[in-house]
Amino acid sequence: MSAAAPLLSVNGLTKHFPLKGGFFGRSTGTVRAVDGISFDVAEGETLGIVGESGCGKSTTARLLVDLIRPDGGEIMLSARRLGVDLPLRDLRRNVQMVFQDSYASLNPRLTMEEAIAFGPTVNGVSTAEATRLAHELLFKVGLEPKRFAGRYPHELSGGQRQRVNIARALAFKPKIVILDEAVSALDKSVEAQVLNLLGDLKRELGLTYIFISHDLNVVRYMSDRVMVMYLGEIAEIGPVDAIYERPSHPYTRALLAAMPSMDPDHLTREAPLAGDPPNPINPPSGCRFHTRCRHAATVCISTPPGLYTLPGERHLVNCHLAIPNSGHPGIEAVTA
Amino acid sequence: MTTPLVEIENLTVRFSGARDVYAVNGVNLTLNPGETLSILGESGSGKSVTLKTLLRILPENRTTIGGAIRVQGTDVLALSGKALADHRGGVVSMIFQDPMLALDPVYTIGEQIAETVMRHEGASAAEGKARALEMLTRVRIPSPERRLKAYPHEMSGGMRQRAMIALALACKPKLLLADEPTTALDATVQIQILLLLRELQREFGMGMIFVTHDVGVAVEISDRVAVMYAGQLVETGSIRDIIRDPQHPYTRGLLAANLHGAVKGARLDAIPGAPPALHAAPNACSFAERCAHAQDRCRAELPPRVTLGERREVRCILPEMAKA
Repeated sequence: MSAAAPLLSVNGLTKHFPLKGGFFGRSTGTVRAVDGISFDVAEGETLGIVGESGCGKSTTARLLVDLIRPDGGEIMLSARRLGVDLPLRDLRRNVQMVFQDSYASLNPRLTMEEAIAFGPTVNGVSTAEATRLAHELLFKVGLEPKRFAGRYPHELSGGQRQRVNIARALAFKPKIVILDEAVSALDKSVEAQVLNLLGDLKRELGLTYIFISHDLNVVRYMSDRVMVMYLGEIAEIGPVDAIYERPSHPYTRALLAAMPSMDPDHLTREAPLAGDPPNPINPPSGCRFHTRCRHAATVCISTPPGLYTLPGERHLVNCHLAIPNSGHPGIEAVTA
Repeated sequence: MTTPLVEIENLTVRFSGARDVYAVNGVNLTLNPGETLSILGESGSGKSVTLKTLLRILPENRTTIGGAIRVQGTDVLALSGKALADHRGGVVSMIFQDPMLALDPVYTIGEQIAETVMRHEGASAAEGKARALEMLTRVRIPSPERRLKAYPHEMSGGMRQRAMIALALACKPKLLLADEPTTALDATVQIQILLLLRELQREFGMGMIFVTHDVGVAVEISDRVAVMYAGQLVETGSIRDIIRDPQHPYTRGLLAANLHGAVKGARLDAIPGAPPALHAAPNACSFAERCAHAQDRCRAELPPRVTLGERREVRCILPEMAKA
């Protein structure tokens, strides 16, 4: 790793949604969607984000481009801090996003070339130049401009629409593209085509990806590093091989064990976790995973572990079992 | 030889409208009692339509069904009136992807299960309620007595799925149809539901047809697999045959697209193109235009049905050429 500043740096990012609905719309609780998370993304790498629904992966994505305003924390892009020496406009130009629902994210009244050219035009590029750019991008994402430039969203298949959404995200020549479940709604054979396209674009344009998905196979294939989230916090973050082959957090291990077996002779015998993911409203005390963890001890209920850096690699884990002298009685058993 | 629980012979389903859609085009399938078959395919392949035909819940005035379906020897396509109502929920039952749409929002879970038992078995209200409690316990809903009085919206996603399974199994059907029941769930909950279905299927001794697009789910749940493409079964066999020795190019592509064991950074061997629009009955191999092995013959005539063993069939010229 070079000592250069990371491309994107997030520090203590927090978003709490107040729950209204009590007497006269009074607040009845708080959804702690994202609760003080910090991570870096290096230039040219792909950071995968995984976790169950409600863990805060999509909220994190939206916070990164200020689609929702954070309650706390700072976002730095190329060592410039958002709101200080980094205007929001610059952040959004450099960090673009592709969403899961390819249809909802396109304006039904705009043709494909208009949809792609819209952003550049608003930012002062002439219509002729923006249209030329749109055609170039359509070609780049594998859609022949002559056939597709004049079409409306409903005239395209899901895979084609998602290619247009990728082209639109690239219209600003961004450094980072956030892919929020961008291939999840596609059929498997089409998904593989789009993943190939994303790989090609990354190599060609030197892009950095933040790849959010619930599909652990896809995340493993795409990512250099993986961040596992649980109830608004980071459970574990590290290089993809470390996370998949030497997972340190019991939650990461459970997520991996919940993947369906691909071997008919070794079927899954036991579900690694019981019940649904708990509600992020008023999350559990101490370690948030302690209510579902088979290693939970007294210290887990009373004290949040905090992210601990494992020796050697950039592998951080939020678990008392991994922290020496944390007071967890299972440490000897695990290290022995 | 056992009598099959389900026999489907040359099933065709066509929807009429502004443009006709040939959704199912000549499906042949058998299911033995107590067996689980997965129908594996992508959206629009006709897998859900096949299931719905078994329950006869497609809109009658717009659907033309050809061929034959027998469940326990009964001709399903000839059923009507009370016999059809007895068939649905009594002999054959179905669970869906979205339990919110399958459950009635204005009745409690307990009332819905009790009503089904009273209708099909002529049971009293008290017996219905007792069965509802028993079923909720069997699908391992925590504190089932309390949950009897819960409305669907008061439950979490995984719990609603369990409630729907309880409702579907309340009258001990011989055949359970499952239409992607775990697709909308988190992986941690999905595996719980799959294990539950596997266990209940054994306990009740029922046959199950499980529709999914996920190869991993098919491996976990099924004895046999039928791969469906453009309204046809392109390959059938045991789960081991399909996983370890796939013969049809489409099956191979689907397995590769699952990314299990894919090398990071290496280009994926993706199937190009998209499935065909089904506005005409097929008269050639529907997969030919996406297939790397396609020949003139594939575009000129329907592919042969090549038998490779007991209950193992591929609709493709490749295994035929290999055999010759």
